[in-house]
Amino acid sequence: MSEHNEAASLVKTLRPFHVWALGVGIVLVGEYMGWNFTVAKGGVLGSLLAMLVAGTMYVIISLCASELGSATKLAGGPYDWARLFVGPGAAASVGLAVYMEYIALEAADAIVVAFIAQSIFPELQVFPVTLLVIALLTFINYRGVVAALTLNFVLTMIAFIAIVAFFFTTAFGGVDIHPEYLFQGALPNGMIGLFAALQFGPWFYLGIEGAAMCAEECKHPSRAVPLGQQAGMITLLIGAAMTLYLCAVLIPTDLLGVSVYPLFEAAQNSGIFIFIALLGLGTFLTCVASANGCVCDSSRSWFALSRDNYVSSWFSAVHPRYNTPYRAVIFTMPVAIGFAFSGFLDQVITFSIISGLLCYVLIPFSLIRFRNLFPQSTSRVRPFVGPLQPYIAYFAIAIAITILSTLFWGYKYNLIFAFVFYGIAYFYFSHRHKSSNIENNWAEMGWPLPEGSENQRIGKEAMSIGDE
Amino acid sequence: METNNQALESKYHSKLNGDTLLVVGMLALLVGVEGFIIYRILSETWEIASDFFYLYVIFLGLIFLIETIGCLRVRDSIKNHMFEFKYYD
Repeated sequence: MSEHNEAASLVKTLRPFHVWALGVGIVLVGEYMGWNFTVAKGGVLGSLLAMLVAGTMYVIISLCASELGSATKLAGGPYDWARLFVGPGAAASVGLAVYMEYIALEAADAIVVAFIAQSIFPELQVFPVTLLVIALLTFINYRGVVAALTLNFVLTMIAFIAIVAFFFTTAFGGVDIHPEYLFQGALPNGMIGLFAALQFGPWFYLGIEGAAMCAEECKHPSRAVPLGQQAGMITLLIGAAMTLYLCAVLIPTDLLGVSVYPLFEAAQNSGIFIFIALLGLGTFLTCVASANGCVCDSSRSWFALSRDNYVSSWFSAVHPRYNTPYRAVIFTMPVAIGFAFSGFLDQVITFSIISGLLCYVLIPFSLIRFRNLFPQSTSRVRPFVGPLQPYIAYFAIAIAITILSTLFWGYKYNLIFAFVFYGIAYFYFSHRHKSSNIENNWAEMGWPLPEGSENQRIGKEAMSIGDE
Repeated sequence: METNNQALESKYHSKLNGDTLLVVGMLALLVGVEGFIIYRILSETWEIASDFFYLYVIFLGLIFLIETIGCLRVRDSIKNHMFEFKYYD
């Protein structure tokens, strides 16, 4: 660890509802917009299957994240799990993937907030409003994690209640629906559409694994992480199902597939003012909440990479008064602005999805390695023991690879670029850390030595005696 | 001292019941909402979906099964460690 964080450490004050707010806050925007591309590819039935298949994968990823997060209690999340249980190359790749996933999403959210603000006040310009949103959220995260996540909790709760209220009013006959839309747009592209729709399925839940990234700042991580993460996952499953139903019975399928704000459009089609206002507000608030959560998660990933010298250790400083990784937080700003004004936002978002899917292969793999290295389930090592492991972890990896393969249709070059980028990162950091010979200090974490390490040590000693 | 311990224990069990209620309530909402939506969509599109409806049943079943067992494990974990890690102080 670097010298910078010895004087001050991250403050441990977060509770389960903060974990929920971080996870759901980042993701709920994907239920307000973006998920409807599944309808364009596979119709209502394709979208429903994509929602269920991706939902199964994310339920498993959430359980893996709960177990790993409550065990390691570290800010880097997937990066730290890969570093401890897989190796430096995988750790660097997944650390960068998490950073890219969240920072690209932050840029996209800030632009959407600016567009919504402009549609309400036409005299505003997108460029300065985007800058203002990014700067404001960076400042809130600089000042303290509790304030940032409490804000997220309020914004996310309003947006979620808006969906729930709209759904129950519709389900109990308060809104005129069009069930014929369900049949008319059931499967426009045939059976191949069912498979093609899978590539946008992650939109419903993309980023929920980030909830576990505040483990180091939780008062009781072994309670807050599993409880907040699972409550968040159930919230998203409920929200996804409600959203799909509402939009499918209120918007014709051909329009739904290309809609920019589908939930808001569904509310407009209902003709009820209170829902138009609520869902319009919800769309705006989820974008702010998502960008806010992304600043939090991307800065923690960069902070963790810096703390272990994968990038300059200058970024691992903790603010003496606010106890936040303030340099890593501030550094999110120029990168997010760069992404926002690159002019290739759709490519940036696709890169974010591919980065996320790479994490969904490596998170269950980290859990499998964790179980092999530390089979004991003591309070110190594994306070939360996930069910049906490692079988469901293998199943999640299979689903993630299947979804990655569907991106080959339409996003071939993004996929190749991402593999080359993370491949180079893997080999570069593997080589760099092999020469620096850094080993994990299990005793510092209060853990026993991992399985097989004793044999390895004896083997190394024997080899060095042989060399002499 | 005995009274203090009893009060503490009672407070912990009451907070644990709060956590349990939250999770059970959310699981019940999940089952109700997902079941309702899948029933409505499949019944309207049965002519097309009847050939592959089992895919929906399998994945829905997996979500319910894994999430329910996962939530039970979360509750067990909190119950087992609540005094050791002083969750509700």
